[in-house]
Amino acid sequence: MSDRTTLDWTADPDSPVPPPSWGRRAPEAQVLPWVFAALVGFLLIGNLLLAPHLTAPALRTWSTIFVAICVQAIPFLVLGVALSAAITVFVPPSFWTRALPRRPYAAVPVAGAAGLVLPGCECASVPVASGLMARGVTPSAALAFLLASPAINPVVLVATAVAFPGQPVMVLARFAASLAVAVLAGWAWQWLGRPGWLRIPDRAPVPGESRMSAFLSAMRHDSLHAGGFMVVGALTAATLNVVVPRSWLAAVGDVPVLSVLVLATLAVLLSICSEADAFVAASLSTFSPTAKLAFLVVGPMVDLKLIALQAGTFGRAFAARFVPLTFALAIGVSLLVGWVLL
Amino acid sequence: MAQSLVLTLLGGAVLRVSALSDIYVNYVKPGFRLPLVVAGLVILLLGVLGVAKEWRRPYPGKGPGQDGHGHGPWVAWLLCLPVIAIFLISPPPLGSYAAERDQTPPPRPAPVGAYVAIAPGTATAMPVGEFIGRAWGDPNQSLRGRQVRLVGFVVPSKKKGQWYLTRMQLRCCAADAFPLKVAVLGAAAPRADTWVEVTGTWVPTPYDRLPKGTVAPEMKATRVAKVNQPGEPYE
Repeated sequence: MSDRTTLDWTADPDSPVPPPSWGRRAPEAQVLPWVFAALVGFLLIGNLLLAPHLTAPALRTWSTIFVAICVQAIPFLVLGVALSAAITVFVPPSFWTRALPRRPYAAVPVAGAAGLVLPGCECASVPVASGLMARGVTPSAALAFLLASPAINPVVLVATAVAFPGQPVMVLARFAASLAVAVLAGWAWQWLGRPGWLRIPDRAPVPGESRMSAFLSAMRHDSLHAGGFMVVGALTAATLNVVVPRSWLAAVGDVPVLSVLVLATLAVLLSICSEADAFVAASLSTFSPTAKLAFLVVGPMVDLKLIALQAGTFGRAFAARFVPLTFALAIGVSLLVGWVLL
Repeated sequence: MAQSLVLTLLGGAVLRVSALSDIYVNYVKPGFRLPLVVAGLVILLLGVLGVAKEWRRPYPGKGPGQDGHGHGPWVAWLLCLPVIAIFLISPPPLGSYAAERDQTPPPRPAPVGAYVAIAPGTATAMPVGEFIGRAWGDPNQSLRGRQVRLVGFVVPSKKKGQWYLTRMQLRCCAADAFPLKVAVLGAAAPRADTWVEVTGTWVPTPYDRLPKGTVAPEMKATRVAKVNQPGEPYE
């Protein structure tokens, strides 16, 4: 027997177990399929047994609104995530240094306007911006791109047009105000920023990973990330929708500047992905168009998940300065653009 | 791997409500089916490919830079919530609870002035929104003296002797739904949330005598019949 086999582990009768690298799965692989099967079974049985009894009107209304926001947002989310992963993976890094002007003050508006052609929601724009910095793009230009890209890209503009039927001026106002805030914030950072405040991450590509595999990984990671934060937004929005009496919102909605501040704060708290926030804004029907514009401008630039992402990527010292700067600029520009256009 | 399973579940749930049934019309407009099916397939595929990739990974696993993020973001677990809501609660279309909550009057439809005349004699079926538009904004008063049939669900009214026949209208999804209400006179109120077809005639109310707070045009019912919930619950 021993003369026939050479490399097979069974050749050695003293070996009690196969070597770890042979045929074994990662530890969680042995448990998770069963958890998964149990979960699917639970959902299917629950659908048959439990659903007919969960009939409290408030719960059903809440769940309808919650699921509706998620269902409405998911196709936009998938589209944005796919495009952003494709751009991150398939566009060579050298492209960016060639495409942008050398002088920082000139590069900021170009990078901001580049947001128009590079779709992606804000969760995706933070890693893209840090990648740009790692590849030698001026930080202020990368930051202008970070702010502009989630707010003025085609997917978001189309979503805004769909959410506000018959009001194309809302799309124009969102575009103009968001681009203005992004460029102003980039210039402000170029003027006032100190290199020590900003941690530029080092992003080395995973060795040996094929492009397709990298694309799928980026897409999976981004959709989980963005999708998770989208659920946070849907939960909050649905709860506010059911719990807060409409008359309260209507009362606030009548006060001009206060209503803008309230919706800007709401945009920070709700943290809705920019591909879906226009639909939530449209549902806040008691507010003035300027207040809705502030919601649309602030949301993709400053919100809880973005603050978390920025602090995690660029460091807390950066977030503590950049977030208030962006928030103040966004409110000021929204008031101005709303006053001129809406 | 766990999170690839989350994606698989989510994709399955999206396909369950869009490709395998008509449940999605409870949440979004009917034209949204194709994007939903495509998005559901993409998510399902991402999840399945992710599971397969992790499944093939040899024992020591978690090498540096595996996926960039070995565990993935914690927030991704929240994606289970819509899946659980879809299966366990199976949210119905918005009903009288939502319609009663929304006290803000819907925007008054702009006068179109181009409503077609309604044939006398037979009862004409029309959407609730069109009835309201004709009642409020039609200078020719084409509804006057004509029999119409409206389908909607029952919402109780605080005022005696009337109830609302209601249909929710969506701009985008159920989060921005607002009620279209027609006050029904001359018939006992069925149970809230019952779907009914009401045959009757419009009770004209002149613009200048509209009492404050009245947002629903009135209709005198001659016949109230229970019907099944229509395939598209919103208008």
